[in-house]
Amino acid sequence: MAGSMALNEEEAYELLTFLVTSARIQQDEPASYGSLRLLTAAERLSGFMMEHSSSGNRGFLAGIQEDIEQMTDSMADVERFVTSLDELCRVVAQHLVEQNGLSGGAS
Amino acid sequence: MLELIRTRRVIRSMTDKPVKRAHLEKVLEAGRWAPCGGNHRLLRFVAIQNPVTLRLMRKVSPGMSQRPAAAIVLCIDWDQVKVHKIPAHDRAISIDVGTAMENMMLAAHSIKLGSGPVTSFSKEALRVVLNIPQNLSPEVIICIGHAAPKDQMIMIPKKKVTWQSLTDWERYAG
Ligand SMILES: Cc1cc2nc3c(=O)[nH]c(=O)nc-3n(C[C@H](O)[C@H](O)[C@H](O)COP(=O)(O)O)c2cc1C
Repeated sequence: MAGSMALNEEEAYELLTFLVTSARIQQDEPASYGSLRLLTAAERLSGFMMEHSSSGNRGFLAGIQEDIEQMTDSMADVERFVTSLDELCRVVAQHLVEQNGLSGGAS
Repeated sequence: MLELIRTRRVIRSMTDKPVKRAHLEKVLEAGRWAPCGGNHRLLRFVAIQNPVTLRLMRKVSPGMSQRPAAAIVLCIDWDQVKVHKIPAHDRAISIDVGTAMENMMLAAHSIKLGSGPVTSFSKEALRVVLNIPQNLSPEVIICIGHAAPKDQMIMIPKKKVTWQSLTDWERYAG
């Protein structure tokens, strides 16, 4: 796995503030917006990570951003939204598996 | 007018081209002329053009995807609500916010500016950023700017909405 991938101060504070304010407004908003906020945080985080990542990871992160953008546009279709979330979870997990050299079947 | 109403869309991607102060003033004037309950003037506006302030506002507003060149915050003045002896739960108070908001967004559209409302923000954090006193509550931020050529994050409704699908004539048919 790659070494440190620190955010700069501006990026870290942006994310921190986004998460804290999201936690508060979620109390007044529909439950499904919780997923939206977490996805937006993930989208921003992947944007920040891109600036500090290797070229190999950059493609993956760009893909994640694109997927999230499409998903947040079509939240009205709940079933499709959940299916896309599952797919995104698979994509992220698959990336981790490959990054950690776990690909291939059981030995 | 109907054409303006029909073609206004929420703009969620804006360029960094500044918004002229005179244009912002036109939008503010449109807010002033919005209908309001009992003709009580319960709203106060805070207009922002400073890029640093705008950046901080965005940070405390999870619902703000745009990076606007200007913004107007519509606040309810609860001191005025008390002065006019209006019950705090009177629906007219929030309807006033809506009428002013729509007037402003249409005015912006009429002078070729894009706009987008945001209610998903932390009131307390915004209060700190804008130095808003306790008697005012910020209700909506209207982001204003020039629409980027490649927009848009449009929230697609599940069903096609027409005025006919929203309307029943004479008595509710269900
Ligand atoms: C009361 C209210 C609150 C809104 N809050 C937000 C918000 O926090 N963030 C956002 O991106 N859009 C917000 N919107 C914009 C709506 O999502 C938008 O009006 C709707 O999707 C229809 O799009 P249109 O106005 O372009 O037809 C809000 C609209 C209203 C009326």
